Amino acid sequence: MDIEMEMVPLAHYLFLSATLFVIGVVGVLVRRNAIVVFMSIEIMLNAVNISLIAFDRYLSLHDGQIFSFMVMCVAAAEVSVGLAIIIALFRNKPTINLDEFNIMKS
Amino acid sequence: MLESYLGAGIMMLMAIGIAGGMVVMTSMLGPKREFADKMEPFECGESPIVSPHQRFSVKFYLVAVLFVLFDIEAVFFFPWAILFKQLGMFGFIEMLLFILILGVGLLYVWKRGGLDWE
Amino acid sequence: MELLIFYPLAGLCVAFALGVVINNSPVGSAMSLIAMMLGLAGIFVLQQAHFIAVLQIIIYAGAIMVLFMFVIMLLNLKGSGEDASWRSRDKNLLMTVLSGFLVAGLLYKILCVLNSGEFDSPASLPENFGTAREVGTILFTEFVLPFEVASILLLVAMIGAVVLAKNKVD
Repeated sequence: MDIEMEMVPLAHYLFLSATLFVIGVVGVLVRRNAIVVFMSIEIMLNAVNISLIAFDRYLSLHDGQIFSFMVMCVAAAEVSVGLAIIIALFRNKPTINLDEFNIMKS
Repeated sequence: MLESYLGAGIMMLMAIGIAGGMVVMTSMLGPKREFADKMEPFECGESPIVSPHQRFSVKFYLVAVLFVLFDIEAVFFFPWAILFKQLGMFGFIEMLLFILILGVGLLYVWKRGGLDWE
Repeated sequence: MELLIFYPLAGLCVAFALGVVINNSPVGSAMSLIAMMLGLAGIFVLQQAHFIAVLQIIIYAGAIMVLFMFVIMLLNLKGSGEDASWRSRDKNLLMTVLSGFLVAGLLYKILCVLNSGEFDSPASLPENFGTAREVGTILFTEFVLPFEVASILLLVAMIGAVVLAKNKVD
């Protein structure tokens, strides 16, 4: 079985990761809906996971997989607190348009 | 190792095929007799027409958050359970500490009334 | 063989990621995000990270997206969910330039990695690479501290969410 010849090169995974990361950044910058911005952040976290795991596979290590596990934990914690913040904001002002939250601006 | 996913793939295709086939076949083969009462969406004791813009209560959110966080706690148990014998006492104490720390959170949520529905 | 699986999956992931950003309704975005997560799980399987692929489905597609859907339902915005008028911000020169820098920097870094030649040939993998047993062995021996800190992180998230959401309930 010669799998070695048909392996996907590392570059492909890295380009996929970079593409998804840039899509996430564009989402954060362009969208004004707070929930969609959060989803874009999730895309960015996932993009990082792809490169971590791709390098892992190429170095035959498990450290990157532990890292991506931790990234998932952080993502879950971040989402649960972040969405609670959105709900708290929504109570003060019934909108999730990020551009309307400017009371911190002096 | 990838070959071992063949079974899972076949099962997934079969599941999609059977579920999709059932939906398509019943709509194609079954007899259709339509009348006004039958076409009404059935909801027991509720008016079938309400505004879709009702908000859920925030209580649901608290339950969902607790579900997510304890889900992740549960995910840590999978590899631990596999390795339980191999890790011995060290692994046991390690996991005990982990559960204790999260137990403090559960206690806090409980005392704060996050688990009460009313 | 692997390429044959990789390209459709990668294309699907990118398409659904674009779907998240482009979609008008938050529910549509959430659905695309779930599809993207499932595609990524496939890519993780392709990289022999079996355990992480399962976690991706359990944690992301199973738990985090449920939370997103809950909040979308919770805040059910009256029709004005997202008007086309405030769908995107005004064109901003600074933002465009910064995004351009980001893309250029990423591509430069990728080329650097490729030219270093360190990753030309993948290491030959042991038979049970990426299984729950292998990942767990390292997690519970070498990475004990991150493991315990993760529990503190979850504790803080729990308390934070309860404090924020329970504050003057209804």
